[in-house]
Amino acid sequence: MASQLQVAVLALDALRRHALSQLVAEAGHLVVGTESEADVVISDGDRPAGETRATVALGGTEDDVAGMLSRHPTARQLDAALRAVAAGLMVRSPEAAESGFGRLRESCGQTLLTPREHDVLAALAEGLTNKAIARRLTISLHTVKFHVESLFRKLDARTRTEAVMKAAERRRRETITL
Amino acid sequence: MTEPADLLAQLSNALVARTALAADAVAAIRLAHGRHLTGTVWRSDLVVSSEQSLPRQDEFDVVTAGGAVVAAVLAGRDPSTNIAILRLAAPLAAPSLAAAEPRAGALVLAIGADGSGGASARSGLVNLAGPEWHSSRGGVIDRRIVLDISLGRREEGGPVFDTAGGCLGMSTFGPRGQVLVIPVATLERVVPLLLRDGRIARGWLGIGLQAVAVPDALREVAGQSSGLMVMSLVADGPAAQAGLVAGDILLSIDGTSTHRARKIAGQFAADSIGRPTELRLIRGGQLIALQATIAERPAG
Repeated sequence: MASQLQVAVLALDALRRHALSQLVAEAGHLVVGTESEADVVISDGDRPAGETRATVALGGTEDDVAGMLSRHPTARQLDAALRAVAAGLMVRSPEAAESGFGRLRESCGQTLLTPREHDVLAALAEGLTNKAIARRLTISLHTVKFHVESLFRKLDARTRTEAVMKAAERRRRETITL
Repeated sequence: MTEPADLLAQLSNALVARTALAADAVAAIRLAHGRHLTGTVWRSDLVVSSEQSLPRQDEFDVVTAGGAVVAAVLAGRDPSTNIAILRLAAPLAAPSLAAAEPRAGALVLAIGADGSGGASARSGLVNLAGPEWHSSRGGVIDRRIVLDISLGRREEGGPVFDTAGGCLGMSTFGPRGQVLVIPVATLERVVPLLLRDGRIARGWLGIGLQAVAVPDALREVAGQSSGLMVMSLVADGPAAQAGLVAGDILLSIDGTSTHRARKIAGQFAADSIGRPTELRLIRGGQLIALQATIAERPAG
């Protein structure tokens, strides 16, 4: 099942096109020319008029495309979305579903992260090991493990990747701008 | 005695009649790719719609009842209450919208524009009629009105009527496709301000904040168990000028504890602009206070 897909990347901005092409490669797929017979098209924002191929839109607002992901998906998410759309399924990320005119959330006190847990989380997001985190924050390995476990519990995550993703989602939802 | 079948026919006929009447109250705002958004005809020359779904441009074509296409210009938009206003180049015969009180369980009709001068209809119940609420974008909405209706993307921004023909407000999408109503009271409050200024001014410090737990060791000195950590700062914004840095944990703003997000949001209304404000915060384990001057939130 792990076949490689041919993916066309539609983005007006050259830098963005480059970054998305790299992400496609990281997801294990082949970037082809925009006019080619691609299996799936990735469009930066809403799908352009006249585009009829199976499309994954990143950060778009129109919901008449097969795939809708956030503007910054992970390689894993992109891989899953490309495969699903190529197989004729529809893909929606919770982030896309969370858009809409919402209320100001009062954060739940029980599961608030501490500043130290935010430091550990930032290191997790960079892919650092517990040992490397201990070195960077000049704390003991034992303390790092304690913080990571606490993060897993507060974020209801089972893996480091899941913790990073759930924290990013929470940050996106709960950031207050003043 | 009336037969049940007659009652059903009567209900259906009444809904048909109401929808036909409401055609004058909607307009289709044309978007790219043959799409459109619904607007509610607020006054003979004004159409209100859902700010979150209106593209950032100044000129639009609007299809009015009967199919005539009228040019319209943006007269103002306010993300905090999700209201945008278009001014029509030619006035319409606008119906008068009488405000109605939402009641949970009431049967309502949500009207959309079909894009060629007619109306589309959705019916359902008022799922929830609650008190005023604060939007995540810093606005106050006079009533919390949630419908159990599923709405098409093109129908967002149309009026919602009760069975007596009273208008509850304008439909819009909340999170997860939930259908909300921006109440008439909010429209009546915001539209005149938007027409005067083109936007709703709000106070601004130029910081992005996220709630964090105050570390145990600092709880006593802080006097509270949670605060708002500075996650981002706008360069040269009021908070940056006051000396705030990323990682600071805000405990209170002018004496109001930051664990009351809604109260804090309420301190940044238009009248806050220019006001000196005291920020109490934790930095490096120490409690410190800084003075900042609230500026006006830049557009966009």
